[in-house]
Amino acid sequence: MEAITLLELNGRVKSTLQFEMPDAYWVQAEISSISPSSQGHCYMELVQKDPSGRTFLAKAKANIWRGTWLKIKPYFEAETGETLKVGMKVLLQVTVTFHEVYGYSLVVQDIDPTYTMGDMARRRKEILEQLEKDGVIGLNHELGIPALPNRIAVISSATAAGWGDFRDQLANNIYGFRFYVKLFPALMQGDDVERSVIAALDAVASQRENYDIVIIIRGGGAVSELSCFDSYNLAYNIANFPLPVVTGIGHERDDTVADIVAHTKVKTPTAAAEFIISRVFDSASALEELTRRISDAVTGRMNAENVRIERLSQKLPSLFAVLKARQEQVLENVWIRSVNGVRNLLTSQTHRLEIMDRTIAAADPAVILKRGYSLTRLNGRVVKGVKDLKKGDRLTTCLADGSVESEII
Amino acid sequence: MKRLEEIVARIEENKMDIDQIGDSLKEARDLIKFCKDKLYKTDEEIKKILETED
Repeated sequence: MEAITLLELNGRVKSTLQFEMPDAYWVQAEISSISPSSQGHCYMELVQKDPSGRTFLAKAKANIWRGTWLKIKPYFEAETGETLKVGMKVLLQVTVTFHEVYGYSLVVQDIDPTYTMGDMARRRKEILEQLEKDGVIGLNHELGIPALPNRIAVISSATAAGWGDFRDQLANNIYGFRFYVKLFPALMQGDDVERSVIAALDAVASQRENYDIVIIIRGGGAVSELSCFDSYNLAYNIANFPLPVVTGIGHERDDTVADIVAHTKVKTPTAAAEFIISRVFDSASALEELTRRISDAVTGRMNAENVRIERLSQKLPSLFAVLKARQEQVLENVWIRSVNGVRNLLTSQTHRLEIMDRTIAAADPAVILKRGYSLTRLNGRVVKGVKDLKKGDRLTTCLADGSVESEII
Repeated sequence: MKRLEEIVARIEENKMDIDQIGDSLKEARDLIKFCKDKLYKTDEEIKKILETED
């Protein structure tokens, strides 16, 4: 039995592989670890899992040498907006190598970003479908933005340029509106985004009565790394949030799931600030409009009342003239009736006086004496009968033209 | 704002007599001032609440 050394064995494996599999292959796999080296290479571990995702069906080391890595990395990032990271599904062009010491490994020659994008799109679609099925996808949209959203909870990284932009934009608004902004710090990049942003949302929710609106913003950065916002848990929390959520996470490609479930999605932190300012501006304009309408309505009403009073006061003299004429007529009537009354009274009195005069005249003794009657007096008193007289009385008899003394014998 | 809209509508519809308009106008003026203060003036109360919540 002839024995060979390990080196010889490995050498045979190596040459067999080189001979049998000289070509490059396009391989679909998931990255299970990735670590760029200080020399500029990139070492990865690729896996294939069973459909449950719990068991490995295959595993291989894959190396991207410096020259390739320098080309692949920016190309992939420009195409997908993502950095290569754990959990990502990739389509790599590899050659198979075997090293006597390090064993079996793949050398990456090229990458097809569309495969990764397709996978991300499929995952987003699945998340959206799940959110739809759970009935939460439209919940945040149904919340109204308050008329005055000036108490703002911001979820962002304290060091993000976007956070500063947002604050400046609000503070320097040309209308002089006042805003109250509070930062709830969260990681906006890396694997902890989901957990960190959800924790910040929880912190806002515990004081929700102090805020009108939530803004999730992040500053730029070379790579957008948005796939962390394509998270079911994060989207579920945003959709269910009791306050309207505005996202301004800055990107060019399709909306993330977080954008889709948020009440409003804008592109940049500055645009998020503008969104709020314009909402307040609308309310301020509505207030101005109402003020103007009140002023117009009251002025109009006052003018109408003035016209009415004017018209009434113009009518007044003629109304007064009518009234005056009527009153004068009444007075005239009273006068006429009084005059007539007095006249009648005078006439009747005059008549009575005449009668009385005539009666009196008829009763004048002189008149009676002239008719032949005489008046006899005894001691100055009129004698009305013979019983008043006795013999020897001296009588004075008055006749019309004088009186005569006589003695009863 | 809603109350203000009601007042405006009622004045515009001529549903108020002149004496009521005086009162409504006063109420409207107070409401407008309240709204404007919210827009343009710093509310120390809110500031305090947000600053102490750490």
